[in-house]
Amino acid sequence: MKIELSEISERVGDPGDFLSVDHEKCVGCGNCVKICIVNIWRMRGGLAYIADDYKEKCLECGGCWQVCDAEAVNFKYPAGGTGVVYKKG
Amino acid sequence: MVEYDLVIVGAGPGGSIAAKIGAEKGLKTIFIERGRVSGEKNSSGCGLGPRMWRDFPELMKELTPETCPSLRTCEIYVLRWIDMNGRMRGMQGFTPSNSVSYDPARKWHTKNVYRSEFDPWLAKFATDAGAELKTSTLVTDLMKDDKGKVIGVKTDKGEEIRGKIVIGADGVLSVVARKSGLQVKWPKDQVTIVPQYDFSCDKAKVDKYIDNMADNLWFGANFPGAYQVFFDEGMHLGLGNWLASFTEGRKSPLAYLNMVLEVPEMKRILELVDAKPREIQSHLLPWTSEPCPTQTDNVMLVGDAAGFPCPLEAEGIYPAMITARLAAETAVEAISNGDTSKSALKRYEERWRKSSVGIEFEGGRSLQEIWRATIFNPETMKWFVPFYHEAMGAFADWSEPHIVRFKQIFEAIRNVYLPKLQPLMMKYVLPLLSDVLEEDISILPMLEGLMKQMRPKRKGG
Repeated sequence: MKIELSEISERVGDPGDFLSVDHEKCVGCGNCVKICIVNIWRMRGGLAYIADDYKEKCLECGGCWQVCDAEAVNFKYPAGGTGVVYKKG
Repeated sequence: MVEYDLVIVGAGPGGSIAAKIGAEKGLKTIFIERGRVSGEKNSSGCGLGPRMWRDFPELMKELTPETCPSLRTCEIYVLRWIDMNGRMRGMQGFTPSNSVSYDPARKWHTKNVYRSEFDPWLAKFATDAGAELKTSTLVTDLMKDDKGKVIGVKTDKGEEIRGKIVIGADGVLSVVARKSGLQVKWPKDQVTIVPQYDFSCDKAKVDKYIDNMADNLWFGANFPGAYQVFFDEGMHLGLGNWLASFTEGRKSPLAYLNMVLEVPEMKRILELVDAKPREIQSHLLPWTSEPCPTQTDNVMLVGDAAGFPCPLEAEGIYPAMITARLAAETAVEAISNGDTSKSALKRYEERWRKSSVGIEFEGGRSLQEIWRATIFNPETMKWFVPFYHEAMGAFADWSEPHIVRFKQIFEAIRNVYLPKLQPLMMKYVLPLLSDVLEEDISILPMLEGLMKQMRPKRKGG
């Protein structure tokens, strides 16, 4: 069964910027790429980059922040009342 | 500045129970939720265990299909064994057993509800009791006095909400835990990631083909244990593993989940109930052998924020509700005594350690090590699935005289699987049995003797 993730995910409001990466700290281990469910991380030239449209894809699990031993990932929850909503959680 | 006795961050099951009890006992109580409603940002909802009905009877008797329409009761859980090629090699299912000690646990395993229904339902008990619910509000920091003690919370709207006690019921990435220093970041082997699909289903078909067999576990030789939970007209399929297994491995969590979708037996079930993907979810879930420190000056952590999900099966809602009740009761006492210091709140830890939640953690490490060594370890499952299949293979097998078959099976187990099984039993199962049985460990020497006797004739295998 092929499932198109973008079709089964709903978001509300403007979440603001809630995810960023500090390239001074990134060691290029790729843990963030491995853990992300929705593929918003890419490695380029030994550094991790976040997709421009991450706000439309991120499920806000915080996995990338948890696995970053270099403390290069900055993640906070989006503003109250915005971001992904789980209607059937 | 607004001042409260009790400021609770999070309005999930833990936050709502703490708020309900705080308000009932006369504390000026607020609970703060980052979603527009409770349950909108929740961790994945699944089964509610019978202990909730035993320990919160007044509350749970009001949980009905009218209040939570997604409700479906699981009386038989089903376990399926899938080999390396995705072929189902066996299945089994059980109702609760005869030694279960109380109703309603004799009749069913879980009642399955969507958190998007359950959490708001529970929050209403707290608001009815007089607690103030503030939604769409993210707590971003803690207010501290000049000695560094927590005196309230700060929100993303720039508000400062002062409280004598702050309870962190804000889940796995708890801001309260982080900012109070109780838990900055979970180690990668103490927290799991759990992607989960929700499917819509044809209710009549679920009633007809699934009925009360609403909890299904899938043990695979090449994916971590997956769960499938049926609701009234929907279904969850999810799996998880500790973060370290993914950062050290090659496949992504979602790739494993998609492998389960390709198992022919799974496809058959999805077709039977007319399942259509409806939602993708992902959450971190603390799954640890010991909770983090649970209190400091003016602060207590409950539920996932402290790592309370059951160390064996990660049931999270019940431990959140129990620890929230104990934290709220401790808060009431501490505020009334005028002492909310770390040493006064130590009473909370003493209480949860004695509770049914604390008892789980007495065997936390042994329980978890078995799990990590088996269904969450692909190296083990590669041989464990064929071993289990072999061990169960004697039934309805008319290929040879039964005496011959028993001998074939016995020899296969002895020669092929025992060398792998024996270290696993010695390292993980016997220590747990020894912990559990305490007074009656006389069977252990017998078991060890038996295993030594069964030693394979040939080396290797």
